[in-house]
Amino acid sequence: MTDETLARILGLMDNLRADAYPLEDQRYIGKRGVRRIDGYEKASGQAVYTFDVALPGMLQMRWLASPYAHCRIVSMDTSKAAALPGVRAILRYDDPGLPEVVDLGGHIVTSEPPVPRIAYYEGQEVGAVIAADSVAVAEEAVRLIEVEWEQLPFLLDIRDAVKPDALLTKPETFPVGNVRMDQLGGRGDVEAGFLASDIVLEFTYRQHLNTWVGPERPCGVFRWNGDAPEIWIKHQRPHIIKRCISKWFDVPMSTISLHCPRQGASFGGWNATPRSNFGNYCAGVLSKRTGRPVKWTMDRRNDFCGGNMDEGFVTLKVGATRDGTILAVSGDSLLDNQEYPVFGTLNHILENTCIPNVREHSVMVEVNKVPTVPVRCEQNTNVCTLNLVCNKVAGELGLDPVEVALKNDGADGHDVTWLAERKAELGFAQRDSLRECLDKGKAAIDWDAKWHLPGTKSLDDHRMHGLGFVWTHEWEDSSGSSEMAIRLERNDGSATIFGCRADGGQNAETAYCQIAADEIGLPVEKVFYRQQEDAGFFAMTPDSSTNLSVNGFAVRNAARILKRRILEAAVAPRGVTQQGGFPPIFPDLLPEDLGIQEGYIFEKADPANRISVAEFVKRSAPSGTMVETEFPRVGAPREDYCQPLFADSFQVQDGAYASKRLRLCRQAHFVEVAVDTDTGKIDILKLVTVNDVGHVINWDGCEGQQYGGAYMAMGRGLFEEMVTDPVTGVYLNSDMLNYKIPTILDIGPIETRLVETGMGYGPYGAVGIGEDVATTAPYLIPAAVYNAIGRWIDEYPVTPSRVLRSLGKA
Amino acid sequence: MAEKVKSHAPIRLAVNGQPHDLLVQPNWTLQHLLHDQLGLLGVKEFCDRGACGACSVILDGSVVLSCMVLAIQCDGRSVETVEGIAAAGHPLIESYVKYSCMQCGFCTPGFVVAAKALLDRNPDPTEREVMEGLAGNLCRCGTYPQHIKAVLEAAEILRGAAPGASGGAAEATGDTRAAREVTR
Repeated sequence: MTDETLARILGLMDNLRADAYPLEDQRYIGKRGVRRIDGYEKASGQAVYTFDVALPGMLQMRWLASPYAHCRIVSMDTSKAAALPGVRAILRYDDPGLPEVVDLGGHIVTSEPPVPRIAYYEGQEVGAVIAADSVAVAEEAVRLIEVEWEQLPFLLDIRDAVKPDALLTKPETFPVGNVRMDQLGGRGDVEAGFLASDIVLEFTYRQHLNTWVGPERPCGVFRWNGDAPEIWIKHQRPHIIKRCISKWFDVPMSTISLHCPRQGASFGGWNATPRSNFGNYCAGVLSKRTGRPVKWTMDRRNDFCGGNMDEGFVTLKVGATRDGTILAVSGDSLLDNQEYPVFGTLNHILENTCIPNVREHSVMVEVNKVPTVPVRCEQNTNVCTLNLVCNKVAGELGLDPVEVALKNDGADGHDVTWLAERKAELGFAQRDSLRECLDKGKAAIDWDAKWHLPGTKSLDDHRMHGLGFVWTHEWEDSSGSSEMAIRLERNDGSATIFGCRADGGQNAETAYCQIAADEIGLPVEKVFYRQQEDAGFFAMTPDSSTNLSVNGFAVRNAARILKRRILEAAVAPRGVTQQGGFPPIFPDLLPEDLGIQEGYIFEKADPANRISVAEFVKRSAPSGTMVETEFPRVGAPREDYCQPLFADSFQVQDGAYASKRLRLCRQAHFVEVAVDTDTGKIDILKLVTVNDVGHVINWDGCEGQQYGGAYMAMGRGLFEEMVTDPVTGVYLNSDMLNYKIPTILDIGPIETRLVETGMGYGPYGAVGIGEDVATTAPYLIPAAVYNAIGRWIDEYPVTPSRVLRSLGKA
Repeated sequence: MAEKVKSHAPIRLAVNGQPHDLLVQPNWTLQHLLHDQLGLLGVKEFCDRGACGACSVILDGSVVLSCMVLAIQCDGRSVETVEGIAAAGHPLIESYVKYSCMQCGFCTPGFVVAAKALLDRNPDPTEREVMEGLAGNLCRCGTYPQHIKAVLEAAEILRGAAPGASGGAAEATGDTRAAREVTR
């Protein structure tokens, strides 16, 4: 690698400025119709997921789940379970061979009992884990466990849990109170802002719990090959699992074989919790004890073991002038059971607007319900508060909410003029992302013709017509790092990308192939990404959602180094040994005199002077990959060979929260609904999603996240809710018959629009999109229903019963 | 393994056109038989409760949820899975790839099966009929809009109506498979 190449790579670490070295000739990047790398195997049923893995002699593992919201095991008799034919091993909470606490892995290093004796929510794994010959036997054995439970007092309502005399919901972890975090932040003087305002609004909204419902249920397979562990995971953090296995069993990292097959989607956050590795840990112990592979799987009810981190109450006070300029926002939030309570509740107002006075008070409280984590994203509350503030101000003043958004767009309390100056300083183009998103979105939904004042338009069938609009910025910006490598294969000159990561299905692997193909100069069909195997490199994985901007740079860096090495090899003597060497393929030229395009190395000044990459790397030989001739005749000249061509590189990005990076790209979404005021039913007539992704790498991937996110968002906005029995704390709909997710019939047509301002911090000016729509679009529903019926519904999801209640009909 | 075996019953089941003489336990579902015993991994288990359509197969011409059918009930019957549909070169497979109808892909085989059954009984469906034909299948990644395009195009190919289609599934299949080899 030349000093210049290295300097360029290092100069773009942390993604703090515009990409200074984009590629001019983009043949596959941004091209429509690039065939997805996993398409055929997934369509034909041949894709293998961890849930599909079956090994000879494999045992099946299941465990006891807490029947109560808060309880402790007084005593437990597992003798009947142990006597059941087919039961091979049982791990108990009091197993003398288990450590008292262990770091199961997660966002942070933890210490907790691997098989707990105390449960803090209904459904929590507790007490005993069983490995048996089949799932049926393991389940039957679990039912045969006799437990004397001590039921402990519990609280479900977050408002009760913060009272001064509230009982302790998790006394072992939080011995002095139920508040996990109390955070105060903001800027300016909100009281002065309210005094200067023409209107002041106050309201409280409540968000109920929704969850992930990943298609492939959490699972894993653990096998010991002598002292060497081997694991198949369904998990978004393969690198963490490898670290944990080494620590759990005191084995060198280098002895661990890790496989990360296709992943049936899990939407993030749960993978950051220690409990996500409970199964892997117990399977490892049981496999060691039994000498057999152990597979653990959750049943569908087990999988309802957590939810989104926005459940709770938020009270907002907003001051604005009559033209829609918002002068002050004060927010007090009460959110429950956040595993990582660091994401705030007014961050998008702080970071994404020119609102001068903001006060944020966030209180994170523990109750006896499932843990809450980022489900696809942690920004839900931040997006909700931004949009309720803008939409309610517009509603109160009779203004078009789109105009209110434009009036308050900005960054860190400054207006868009200030933001434009910063864009220039950072090397970005002068584009107004929000306006561009609005132009496309408004045209697609025909906003100017269809928007009306709230509650003023009924359809021919007497349903009420409503339009809704939401907006915010992109946020592919949390911490992440990526190590990736590319090897040029012999025989055909194809390239293999290495970088173990969980394939969540976003088509990211194809995008990375496009980047490598363009950067090296290969046909895209000659580039493959082997994401499922641990070859010593771990890419940023679909978690923390910094994938494209980190992996994109890592693969680009590796590709640029590899290209340089190919060209250097092309002008250098070949096959040099003690016997001598062979002249270069391109004698008397320098690397910079050559190019690579569509799989051919060529002389720029004479493109007809070329050699295919396949021919250049030569074919594998009988006794090794490099030298052609195994038994050269005496006196015959030995043939030349091509050195191995391989490159690795990396990218790091520190978290950009707390205004480390200004947000430049925007998104805007629109919906048209019909509300039946007799039944409360809300029909989605049309939905338009617009995202500024900076620069499209893979169209299928971007649009897939748009319509896919739209479906998840509508589920969240309309009906997804985990319901708890308020008397017992038992979850009542932890299955897919009763916890509804959207079907193909539930939502009207979705139109997607992409904006490319080039203002992303990733390679080629791109940013990711995976979390955006699912997180932002749910709040279209309250806005559109308000526009339809003229009443705000401040309890989400906006179910028919809540609509009727707002109309005084229920 | 030493699982307590109740009693095995013999059944004869045609799987993707191939006759199989099988011994099945009375508590085995058809999904278990196909996925776990015969290794047809496209018969996926998603909801575990007859709610999602991921384990869909075509049993004697009708789509069924194989997690809700006992294997022992299938004696003398004929079942078609996504593997059989792909092996026969049905144009749905290529149209599903072309329109990127999958994200995580776990539910995709079930959609293909439901779509194939739809086209078997209705070669020229409307967009609404496609949606209704796929309404029993859940996709958490939200790929639904693409399925409609893919199924309608596959229907056109089957009818010989699509540009380049030369009539009949088998012939169309040959073309699309060749294209696959070239482009990926």
